[in-house]
Amino acid sequence: MIIRQLVLRQGRRAATVQSLRPLKRFLSSEVDSIESSLQNSIKETHSIEAYINSQSSTLVPSIDPNTHATASTGPVSNSVVEDYQIYKQQKQLIGQLGSAIPAHYQPHTLLTNPPSPSDVTLELLLASEAHQGHATSLWNPANARYIHGIRQGIHIISLDVTAAHLRRAARVVTEVTRRGGLVLFVGTRAGQDRAVVKAAQLAKGCHLFERWIPGSITNGQQILGKCRTMVVNEKDEEIPGFEEQLYERAVLKPDLVVCLNPMENYVLLHECGLNQIPTIGIIDTNADPTWVTYPIPANDDSLRCVQVIAGVLGRAGEQGQKLRLQAAEKGVITYMPAKGLKFPDDKTALAAGEEDDIDFETLDVAAIDDLERMLETEDFSDVEDADDVAIGEGQMDKLDGPDGDVPNTMKNMAREDVQSTLEDARVQNQLPIEDDEDQLQKLSRMGFQSSHPQGSAEWQEEMTKYLKGSEIS
Amino acid sequence: MGRYDFRALRVRQSAKQLFDNRKITALPPWYEVVGNIPPAETLVRPVMRTPRTKGTKKPSRMFQPMPIKYPEDKLRSEFFGDHPWELARPRIILEDNGNDAKGWDWSRIVQPGKKLDGESVVQRQLWLMQNDNLTKEAAYDQARREFYHHRHLEDVQRRVAKEEALATGAYFGKGVLEIGMELEDQAYENWKAWAQKQIDIEKQNREQLYSGPVEKPDGAGLDDEELDEALDKMEDAIPAGGQGAIGGAAIHP
Repeated sequence: MIIRQLVLRQGRRAATVQSLRPLKRFLSSEVDSIESSLQNSIKETHSIEAYINSQSSTLVPSIDPNTHATASTGPVSNSVVEDYQIYKQQKQLIGQLGSAIPAHYQPHTLLTNPPSPSDVTLELLLASEAHQGHATSLWNPANARYIHGIRQGIHIISLDVTAAHLRRAARVVTEVTRRGGLVLFVGTRAGQDRAVVKAAQLAKGCHLFERWIPGSITNGQQILGKCRTMVVNEKDEEIPGFEEQLYERAVLKPDLVVCLNPMENYVLLHECGLNQIPTIGIIDTNADPTWVTYPIPANDDSLRCVQVIAGVLGRAGEQGQKLRLQAAEKGVITYMPAKGLKFPDDKTALAAGEEDDIDFETLDVAAIDDLERMLETEDFSDVEDADDVAIGEGQMDKLDGPDGDVPNTMKNMAREDVQSTLEDARVQNQLPIEDDEDQLQKLSRMGFQSSHPQGSAEWQEEMTKYLKGSEIS
Repeated sequence: MGRYDFRALRVRQSAKQLFDNRKITALPPWYEVVGNIPPAETLVRPVMRTPRTKGTKKPSRMFQPMPIKYPEDKLRSEFFGDHPWELARPRIILEDNGNDAKGWDWSRIVQPGKKLDGESVVQRQLWLMQNDNLTKEAAYDQARREFYHHRHLEDVQRRVAKEEALATGAYFGKGVLEIGMELEDQAYENWKAWAQKQIDIEKQNREQLYSGPVEKPDGAGLDDEELDEALDKMEDAIPAGGQGAIGGAAIHP
């Protein structure tokens, strides 16, 4: 600091040094020399002031020639704002001095700013030690296709396979969150908590970093029955008034589970398998890949690797939520609204509200007749708004298309909804279901759509094709 | 054990069956997703060895992963066999971004951002063998020489830095030897205190042994008259030739 001030003050003078000055100083008296050097330094200071003022927009307070102190500029001069401005200005001037430090790995950045699926590279995975498996004697031969080779007694996982599986899992998370699915992130090992919480925050899902209580899915009513749930609309705003109804509803189950340490969470994965919940898990060379639906072969013992994978999946979930909310802004709901909810101030339940749907249990025979009438007259105006129609991906593409068939599609979907409602109501009331209609409704519920008139030869052909395709899948 | 559970992989099929049988009212939101992005093939063993040609022995471990080998491995084991204490030096194994080794140029042994260590010698030796066409031994010698030279320079640098610091008033505290000697002194003093205590205890015990309540020996409590009387009584019992071999009280006057 002292040296820098010295250079700042004397540097210019040293640059323009005159050879006669030492001689003059030798001849003149001491007082004279001190006086002249003082004058000189004040001049220097003023010139530096002028230089700085020319460089920046804010003025530097000038030096008083008599007191040699900065001139007071009123009460504002000592304010925090001005100090901050001076600090910023100085930083701008001298911040670039010194040696350049190359970018280094900073462990916290994986948590504060996790990588997105597009940032996944083999180098990143290598640096985060995703390739290190377990000792060869501990391997599970089911992982043979993920293993690249043996090095120093441990199995090395193929990073290209890891990257491919990670990207695939990220796409699954994106798509599930886009359809309003609930994602549960689980990492119960020491040190995984922050990564798990961050991922869940990004994906607007749930997190678990302590013990999985066995039975939370299979016996959820007992274990999670006291947990608070709420009703939200398509823009994720809470709608009050449903507390009574929510109290009687079944507890929530996740639609997708991401498990960062499957070895310790077999019970969780088993419960997911029993309840048809797809799972994503980090499979090390000693784990069993059949425990999860989407394995990500990687090193589950490295916290850096776990943070990368959790971050990537969290970012994928964030992307899915963003897409869902964007669609909601346009009035498209990408998920099926919750069934069996009545709007608090409308007990008849036929005129559905913003987010709720028709309650099948309360439909009586009269209501069924009402629905049938609607089907005949094709008048769905009082059933649902166009905004409330829950649609799948293919249908949404149709909506976005420029061919102007939007009202028609809406109508079709409303019809479909009424049909399925009708069918369910019949089931509830133990009414007979017409055989041919049963087939039709099943088809429509499976998502079958045809441009040809119903019953024609082309329609039949398409239907059989569709059925075959769905059987295969 | 020994049986596979494919429920996790078949969630979509099970959900479809439940829906078809009206066990669930709607397909789950992931149904289409899992259909569009199916899980990868699993439990398939890739063949790791080349297939057998006719007339040869069937290779064992056909489905087991192969060892990964590099040309440096031999050089490395040789160097660290000769310099085992190089392994005791601390080393950074953290990677910045996975491309750390791409900035290194082994035409010199010193690399920016990498500490000089055994790995430098190995890489330099390999480079010399590949680029300067040196033999393994010659390359080893040259790489080692450069390594020793730079280690020596590091030592000099460290020493000069210390001297400079001391000259400008730095104080480094006690050295390792001084600390060791102090600990030794401390241990000796502790032992001395302990030994003194033991001696004191021993002394006390010994004093207690002599100063405790002692039974009076026979005849000790007799006064002179009684003693004479007793001696007179015993006089006949003593043989003329003195005390027998069995012993007995010395009652000679």
